[in-house]
Amino acid sequence: MISALCLTLALVQATEPPHPSTGIAIERAVAEQLDLGVGDTVRLGAAPESLPHLAVVSAIYEPRPDPAEVSRRSLRVRLHLPDLAAVLGAPDRVDRFGVGLLPGVTPDSAAAVLNRSAFGFRAHPSATIASESSQTFKVVSRFHRAIAVITIVASAVFLLCIMLLKVEERRLDAAVMRFVGVRRRTIFGALVLEAALIAVLGSALGAGLAFLAGAATNAYYREFFDTELIFSLITPRIVLFSVCLSLLLGVAAGALAAWRLVRTRPMALWGRA
Amino acid sequence: MLVARDLRKDYPMNGETVHALRGASLTVEPGEYVALVGPSGSGKSTLLQIVGGIDTPTAGTVEILGTRLETLSDRELTRLRLTRLGFVFQRFHLLPVLTARENVELPMAEAGVKGADRRARARRLLDYVGLGHREGHRATQLSGGEMQRVAIARALANRPAVLLADEPTGELDAATGQEILDLFRRLNTDGTTLLVVTHDERLAAQAGRTVHMLDGRIVSEAAAP
Repeated sequence: MISALCLTLALVQATEPPHPSTGIAIERAVAEQLDLGVGDTVRLGAAPESLPHLAVVSAIYEPRPDPAEVSRRSLRVRLHLPDLAAVLGAPDRVDRFGVGLLPGVTPDSAAAVLNRSAFGFRAHPSATIASESSQTFKVVSRFHRAIAVITIVASAVFLLCIMLLKVEERRLDAAVMRFVGVRRRTIFGALVLEAALIAVLGSALGAGLAFLAGAATNAYYREFFDTELIFSLITPRIVLFSVCLSLLLGVAAGALAAWRLVRTRPMALWGRA
Repeated sequence: MLVARDLRKDYPMNGETVHALRGASLTVEPGEYVALVGPSGSGKSTLLQIVGGIDTPTAGTVEILGTRLETLSDRELTRLRLTRLGFVFQRFHLLPVLTARENVELPMAEAGVKGADRRARARRLLDYVGLGHREGHRATQLSGGEMQRVAIARALANRPAVLLADEPTGELDAATGQEILDLFRRLNTDGTTLLVVTHDERLAAQAGRTVHMLDGRIVSEAAAP
């Protein structure tokens, strides 16, 4: 059985036939970089200058994408635990290993039992380890949230200015509409409706641009890091939130600008106070 | 139908008081075609705006169809402008995003006329002003004369008691202006009451009565021979 241990090892291709029992699994990146395939023989050792062990590549695997390891440059192979111990020359020494649980056993209770009875190591639920290793991403996420808030505030101010300018352009139209008997309420409603439509169209355009930018970001970084990780993710919930927020801001900006317009006397709009 | 009594209008300008109207009185009877003429700054447009209920006098009264305008609330005055008065402006002032028909429909929609009825009436009015074939064109796609004819159709939308026009040929060339004059004459012949502010001597000449203004006062009136 191949252990879950992963160590960085000195590894070179060998010509001698391997020991029949030494089989290793290498990750795809290793296979590509060293041009290895299943059945090839390699030399293993704990240091580049000492490669006494022979092994045969018995599997090539694709490691599960992990954001915490996306920038890792080291290459990994997997060995059976006895083979690894033999390579390291330290049969009773491991840094860490994973424990599979039977269905119904909770990680917390298993960790608690192990920590009560074991000596020399500490058990942690994988969720805790994931949380610990995700601290960087949490900080990045908070940073993104702060940028988003600043963007929203700036956009709201920009939108309000645009609406005020647009409405200023309509002063004469509004005056004429008032002259021909159109009520303030109608003009107000028309302007707010227009603002809402602009906001919805703007948010649709924004969502479209976000999808394109996200696709480009993912394509670039997936290629750069050789990973299947998703770097930019736009969910339906994010789109819905954006459209709703845009609509809210648009209607608020439109209403404010329209209110300014309709409370002005028609003759003042016409150009004579 | 329309009675203005001793209208005065003062407003401040650059720290001084401008007397735009100094006691102007005017009566327009049903079916009349009255031209208001005079030099620039004589108070013609101010008088038209006050009798049209879009400006308020400093003193004096205006009565339209027996209703004193100063007794009306802003909402009532808006309603009166919508249903009893029609306005035509020098620069047409159509809504550019709307088609000719939609511009004509606008006052009817505001008055609560149902969709099919207002579409039919808008078409009839556009036919009346000779623009039935242009009903689907946006205002920006129309010539000056066409825009003014659409504006006239819009002013007639709610069957107003009086049509008020401020320099309706002022932005048009002679030939196009003549089309508007012909349209006004036809409107009056068909029973529309008209009060028109103009510098255009041809327009003044075809009116049933010409009222001359100078320095905010009505200085003379002359009926057509």
